[in-house]
Amino acid sequence: MKADEILSIVDKHEGDRGGLISIFEDIQAKYSYLPAEALKVVADATGRSPVDLYAVATFYKSFSLKPRGKHLCSVCMGTACHVRGAPVIGGEFARQLKVTPGETTPDKEFTLETVNCLGACALGPIVVVDGHYFSKVDSARVKQIIKKTRDGLDEAEIKADRRVYLLTVSCSRCNHSLMDPDHPIDGSPSIRVTASSGREHGWIRLSSLYGSFTVESEFGIRTDTIVDFFCPHCHAELKGASACPLCRAPMISMIVRAGGIVQICSRRGCKGHMLDLNGSGF
Amino acid sequence: MERLRSIEELKALQARLQTDRDPSIPTIVISAGTCGQASGANDLIRVTKRELLNKGLTDRIRLRITGCHGFCEAEPSVLIEPRGTFYPRVGVQEMAQIVEAVAQDQVLKDLLFVDPATGKAVERQGDISFFKAQVRTILARNEKVDPIRVYNYIENGGYSALVRALETGDSKWVVEEVKASGLRGRGGAGFPTGLKWEFLAAQRNGRGKFLVCNADEGDPGAYMDRSVLEGNPHSIIEGMLIGGYATGANEGVVYVRNEYPLAIKHLMIALRQCHELGLLGQDILGTGFSFDIRLVRGAGAFVCGEETALIRSIEGKMGEPRQRPPFPVQKGIEGKPTAINNVESWANIPVIITEGAREFAKVGTKGNTGTKIFSLVGKVRNTGLVEVPMGITIEKVVTDIGGGPSGKAKIKAVQTGGPSGGCIPAERFDLPIDYDSLTEAGSIMGSGGMIVMDENTCMVDVAKYFMNFLKDESCGKCYTCRKGIQRMHEILEDVSNGKGTLDQLDVLEELAVVVQDTTMCGLGQTASNPVLSTLRYFRREYFEHVEKHRCPAGVCKELVTYSINENCTGCAACVRVCPEKAIAGEKKKRHVIDTSECIKCGACKTVCKFDAIDVA
Repeated sequence: MKADEILSIVDKHEGDRGGLISIFEDIQAKYSYLPAEALKVVADATGRSPVDLYAVATFYKSFSLKPRGKHLCSVCMGTACHVRGAPVIGGEFARQLKVTPGETTPDKEFTLETVNCLGACALGPIVVVDGHYFSKVDSARVKQIIKKTRDGLDEAEIKADRRVYLLTVSCSRCNHSLMDPDHPIDGSPSIRVTASSGREHGWIRLSSLYGSFTVESEFGIRTDTIVDFFCPHCHAELKGASACPLCRAPMISMIVRAGGIVQICSRRGCKGHMLDLNGSGF
Repeated sequence: MERLRSIEELKALQARLQTDRDPSIPTIVISAGTCGQASGANDLIRVTKRELLNKGLTDRIRLRITGCHGFCEAEPSVLIEPRGTFYPRVGVQEMAQIVEAVAQDQVLKDLLFVDPATGKAVERQGDISFFKAQVRTILARNEKVDPIRVYNYIENGGYSALVRALETGDSKWVVEEVKASGLRGRGGAGFPTGLKWEFLAAQRNGRGKFLVCNADEGDPGAYMDRSVLEGNPHSIIEGMLIGGYATGANEGVVYVRNEYPLAIKHLMIALRQCHELGLLGQDILGTGFSFDIRLVRGAGAFVCGEETALIRSIEGKMGEPRQRPPFPVQKGIEGKPTAINNVESWANIPVIITEGAREFAKVGTKGNTGTKIFSLVGKVRNTGLVEVPMGITIEKVVTDIGGGPSGKAKIKAVQTGGPSGGCIPAERFDLPIDYDSLTEAGSIMGSGGMIVMDENTCMVDVAKYFMNFLKDESCGKCYTCRKGIQRMHEILEDVSNGKGTLDQLDVLEELAVVVQDTTMCGLGQTASNPVLSTLRYFRREYFEHVEKHRCPAGVCKELVTYSINENCTGCAACVRVCPEKAIAGEKKKRHVIDTSECIKCGACKTVCKFDAIDVA
């Protein structure tokens, strides 16, 4: 944890009065919990007393003062899930992971928690692991869910090939193809564009498989940096019309040969994207 | 996106979007709210795009990704416009076939919804009994708009109600119209919205006023607010803009619970689009009216749905309620006058302004006008969000729309109003659903959760569940709430463990009344409802637990034993899942459970295909 990282989060919310909860949420999103040192930095920066911060941090259920595991398993305990047997599911997770709700496994892999209602009541009992929803869970499936999580939930999605497919794209200004068959990525022709970030300038190759996020570049690009993309043929900037739905960075846009446009986030590491077959993106 | 500088520019944009639209082009509508995505809608979207691209159909077929359509049981569902063909529970394999069929204007009969009552396939969504009996004023809009595209909303008549309000130039007219509509707060308490607005409009302080959209939908079992926010965020923004104009408020806050990531995402996108278009901010549409909205995320505290607690939470403090008066409309956020309305109330505002108060008031009954969305969940066949006119009977909702029980067991009660509500027994299903009748029956309307319970639901366990919930969620400020609920939970725990006494039941009842009478905020005042209503209607079940040490529903773990009956075929499915290896038996012969080893986890019952596990 670095003090300047915390300070930048505090600065971000300085404008909104009473932004303490937002500050905590951002800190927790970054570190998975609220470290004591972070609270001290926030107290100094906002002028609020540490006691006051502690009160807020402990009042709200979603904040944790203890480090949490790599994977967060939330078992819904809403009424609809309850009448369909959620307590049994919660108990089975506790048994399998050998922790009680609110605790983290000793290997720091899993944190188990129960939540009051996830609002997907028709599909109960509901379990959410790292943002992935599992519906109509029965106790026999708990083991599978844990195993799937250990294997990697995103991993499984990329491999299911029917959902991953090739997009042939071209520059939205000169319409020149951006495909580079000589340098395949993921076994398919890559998309080659020019990128610039700070003083660096060079080529960058993206996987043309919709659903894959593999990237190669001429120079190293740090995670979280926003990169400017240009067409290697007409040198126009590949600027999209909207901002990234996930991180608000500008989107870059390319024409899809078969129809429509694809927009991807210009921030390194962000997976925000939109494939729009008919429309402007607004 | 270009900034709209005048009302005329907005109208011109709307006219252009409407002329550009060709309604004869078939559109594949994929329902992708949280429920849809949890059931695999994202995969369907990707496969649809793949098929449209590979087959070169992007000019001939449109694709619209929308929020939830309400029929959660059928998710992921696909709707084909303009025919109205409805495909339930679509798989990835079938999606490719559907795209092909749409291209050839055909219907895939095998994939249609089959009415369980008649056994016949039904093609059109409007003909399915679940949809037929509803009046879907708010929910039907969800399937018309892509929530992340503001142009889509404008094309469908969006922001016309705002234009209408602005064009009158008379903020009083707007307040009068909302008053005349008879709209009552959809958050549960049923306070007339127009009256609240009139109070706020009358406040003069010169420092600004607030409007709040309460989207801290904490009631477990209720998710209509999530669905509206996810599926149609612009309708909330439009409602709040109209409210701002009517009451002279200049700032709006949408307080959303953190458990709703998709609603937060869609609302953030919608707010950004409105800022870019000039529909939020200074001098909106060149009329001199200024209003801005920001989003505040909750952090998991049920009590923050209470308005004074919500205000404190918005201010970045602990969400403890405070004494009223002063009411928020006098002293709210930062001491400024504040009016708080629920998501569904806000979504109704554009409808009232567009259709007129008189038209709106035609739906429902006197004193309870308009429609109300309920989340019909639990042990009912058609689970989902249903929108019905106020005053409809519970029976109609549960049987006609809900299709009756989901399993073989009979329905015995519905629970409304979340932890603040109560259980209404099947004998009283002729009760009309309105604020006053439900209160009289010992429950409340609440935000609209309607959880159906059958004979396999134990009412003692339900009461215990809510007390457990509330003891964790009580902020602790009032002693009777903090300790009273905890004690009620302890007594219920004893009863469900078979250790309860008849004296304890009397104490329980007395305690419930004390908590009701001596607490400050709505949480404590209504906390006893689950206990009192189950004691009122299901006292017999309490007696069974106390006197006979029996749980008739087979739920209370301490009072049940698992055994295997003669239906057992000896398939050994239960043997494989039993975590304690407590089941034994020869292949193809009836198995036996060793009750001393059994931990009553229920795994065997879930895997048994022959109904051979008895719990009694």
